[in-house]
Amino acid sequence: MEAVVSDVVAPEDLLRFEKKYNSELQKGTLCKDTKFEYAWCLIRSKYTDDIKKGVVILDELVHKGSKDDSRDFLFYLSVANYRLKHYEKALKFIRTLLKNEPGNNQALELEKLIDKALKKDGLVGIAIVSGIGLGVAGLAGLIGLAVSKGSRS
Amino acid sequence: MTAAPYNYSYIFKYIIIGDMGVGKSCLLHQFTEKKFMADCPHTIGVEFGTRIMEVNGQKVKLQIWDTAGQERFRAVTRSYYRGAAGALMVYDITRRSTYNHLSSWLTDARNLTNPNTVIILIGNKADLEAQRDVTYEEAKQFAEENGLLFLEASAKTGENVEEAFLEAAKRIYQNIQDGSLDLNAAESGVQHKPSVPQGGRLNSDTQPAKEGCSC
Repeated sequence: MEAVVSDVVAPEDLLRFEKKYNSELQKGTLCKDTKFEYAWCLIRSKYTDDIKKGVVILDELVHKGSKDDSRDFLFYLSVANYRLKHYEKALKFIRTLLKNEPGNNQALELEKLIDKALKKDGLVGIAIVSGIGLGVAGLAGLIGLAVSKGSRS
Repeated sequence: MTAAPYNYSYIFKYIIIGDMGVGKSCLLHQFTEKKFMADCPHTIGVEFGTRIMEVNGQKVKLQIWDTAGQERFRAVTRSYYRGAAGALMVYDITRRSTYNHLSSWLTDARNLTNPNTVIILIGNKADLEAQRDVTYEEAKQFAEENGLLFLEASAKTGENVEEAFLEAAKRIYQNIQDGSLDLNAAESGVQHKPSVPQGGRLNSDTQPAKEGCSC
């Protein structure tokens, strides 16, 4: 699953599906499949702005989608949010998919990956807080030392 | 020494293609996990799996992209064909339509990979003999006419699954050995990983061959 979420779209592919999307948009014939293809490429971009653009399109699709294809949109909304490090949101989308398909292996693997990232984030948070705590304590100790030294002389 | 020694000498990129419901993901799962997934849902987009296997005494890591068979994914999954060293093109021996669509899959595979890409045709669900809809002989002939390797396999029983991946790997390895596959070409689908750093321990060639995978 790591390979799937970290897979980056080739620039020429992104460009190709962007052209198709824009040309259908201009002609007023933009169809669901074209939107999905473009969104799927966008969320695999290395640029955050592209991923965010993909999320907007997938959000639109998931609201209009049938149960059959909403699984695709939910899955890639989760992948996109994972890539944006919005782990809580990523978890929300993948759990919505899992409600419909509890045994889906791809979804379960992605959920595991998000959980791992959340835990890691949590640990880093604790480390930062305790780091600051240690810093403050250390500083207080130094001041105390200086004060006691000053009072002695 | 910054680079860690690899426990394999080559990486081969594979793709698995074919109509939906022919058992592509089940073949991958059987190959990587040695288990059969019953009631496997349709793949969303692409899946990925790896396994290290021994090919002519060399450890080779297979990196396998398993593509969704549903039509709505087809345009985008085509980009995963690029740079594949091997392709498993799968049909279901109990559904003639999946066999009839092979020429379209083959056209994609030929157009989007390089001329050295090894394509193996897999007739899956060989355990369902009573429901057979495509004979071994005609598929074999199709494979021969198109220069493809061919096997019938069963993701359910595991029959010929290992062999399918191995046969393609052997052919790729042979292409490397005889120089027809240029490792420096950007899209050969093969990476060479010297398994031991310079001045390191034994050369992998001299190590006794071990059974199975070490992943």
